[in-house]
Amino acid sequence: MHRNSTSLALALLAPSLVLFLALTIYPLARVFALSLFATDYGFEDALFVGTENYVDLVQHRFFRTAAWNTLVFAILATLSEVGIGLVLALLVSGRIPGGRFVVPALLMPYVLSTMVVTAIWRAWFHYDFGYLNNVLRATGLPAVEWLFDPDIAMLSLVLVDAWQTAPLAFLIILAGLQAVPDELYEAASVDGAGAVPVFLHITLPLLTPYLFLCALLRSVDAFKIFDKVYALTGGGPGQATETLSMYVYRLGFRFFDVGGASAAAIIMVVISGLLALVYASRLLDRKE
Amino acid sequence: MRKRIARAAAVYAVTAILLVPIVWMLTTSVRPPLEYVSDSISLIPSLVTLEHYRELIRGDVLGKAWNSLVVAVGTMALALAAGFPAAYALVRIRFPRKLDLAFLMFVLLVKLTPPISLAIPLYQVLRSLGLLDTLLGLIIVYQVYALPFAIWMLLGFVRDVPVEYEEAAMIDGASLLRRLGSIVLPLMAPGLIATSIFVAILSWNEFAYALLFIQSPDKFTLPTFIATLITEDETFWGKLSAVGLLASLPILVMVGAVQKGLTRGFSGGLK
Repeated sequence: MHRNSTSLALALLAPSLVLFLALTIYPLARVFALSLFATDYGFEDALFVGTENYVDLVQHRFFRTAAWNTLVFAILATLSEVGIGLVLALLVSGRIPGGRFVVPALLMPYVLSTMVVTAIWRAWFHYDFGYLNNVLRATGLPAVEWLFDPDIAMLSLVLVDAWQTAPLAFLIILAGLQAVPDELYEAASVDGAGAVPVFLHITLPLLTPYLFLCALLRSVDAFKIFDKVYALTGGGPGQATETLSMYVYRLGFRFFDVGGASAAAIIMVVISGLLALVYASRLLDRKE
Repeated sequence: MRKRIARAAAVYAVTAILLVPIVWMLTTSVRPPLEYVSDSISLIPSLVTLEHYRELIRGDVLGKAWNSLVVAVGTMALALAAGFPAAYALVRIRFPRKLDLAFLMFVLLVKLTPPISLAIPLYQVLRSLGLLDTLLGLIIVYQVYALPFAIWMLLGFVRDVPVEYEEAAMIDGASLLRRLGSIVLPLMAPGLIATSIFVAILSWNEFAYALLFIQSPDKFTLPTFIATLITEDETFWGKLSAVGLLASLPILVMVGAVQKGLTRGFSGGLK
């Protein structure tokens, strides 16, 4: 339907195109242009410095720490979330009494606002009166400095992220498990296969695309992490939990090094663009 | 059989443990401060008080909730008004195959771009439009994420409307607007509602742009209001829990309303 419809298509797409142009294309072009200048705001009085901002960043200890922290956080968060999601999905997938109440209950942490989640955990991590340390003390274990010990703060962030988003991993993996045909399990049990071989040779291979998709989704999100770092640790103690988003925020909106912050932002866009490519090629594979 | 019971017990135990933080929030919101600032691990308050809620209302929490609501409704309206025609065009009009695909790739790329990486130019755009520190400005910048998301989700729902109905109406001489109004939109109503709710939740929960583009406390949305309470470094946990609960209730209600659409939404996005 609608032959000769180029003008109609344009009219229908126009509002979206205008918004994309003003809110994404132009800002991306501008942030790239700004990354080539030494400037504290715009292009007036800006000094063209070419790739100097990038060179400075790569040489700067703080930037490298932020990049390393982001990588560590993304890997730990993705692994723990996919792992927890898989265990939960395997537990819930068989029919259990009351199962249809369990799934929505498990999804609750995921639908809460990130700032609400952060508020809860900020209180739970409190050294003197926080719930976690109260539980530790009650069981005779030593209390932990969840947010102020540089070796632990990052793990605390992973814990909060996993608590909030493992339910999403669980939901995707559960859908994958339910797509495995029952006949396969029946055939395996007729052949007398044990639970572990069945899992390794039937369930896991069929589940791999879901696990992969899940890991990709989670790593892309983990890579952007900002809210939790901002409100839980502020990037500290010292530089222990400074991530790339936090670094761009600080450089651009606290120290007004707009050129440097733009260069760091461009580096982030390139990395997430590469992740997007992997994601897109996976989606297209699934389509075919 | 015994195995099944053991497994059910394990599922209940894990679910219960994972929900303790939410239960804690519920009970802390009605607990006197002296009771939660202690070394007790009991979750049951010995005394129920509404003082935290009263204090919040004195601190104008309803004003922040109103701001959040205005932004959520505005974001939703704009995303649907711009996103629906785009989704319709992408599904119904035969584009050169590559253009169609390129657009979808673009939508995906935006979805995956870190919000902070666009923050500096968006700040400058809003400033030059005089929209910095306004709720309207927030509604506009939220389109960065709301619009691609809405288009992505609506594509699946437009596809579900049989093209034959529209062709029949076309033969009878119905115009595009007529067909949209009397066939497509009514048939898509559940999908439109689900998409609106998802966009509203996205906006209701957003933090980074609200932090960067709103400076006056009377224009704060709930997440930025909560952040100021968190970072004040005092044990306002009763207040925090109470506002956390207030901020979560509308979402829980909305998610409950579209529970069936939830999985549909995800598969619509993945298909």
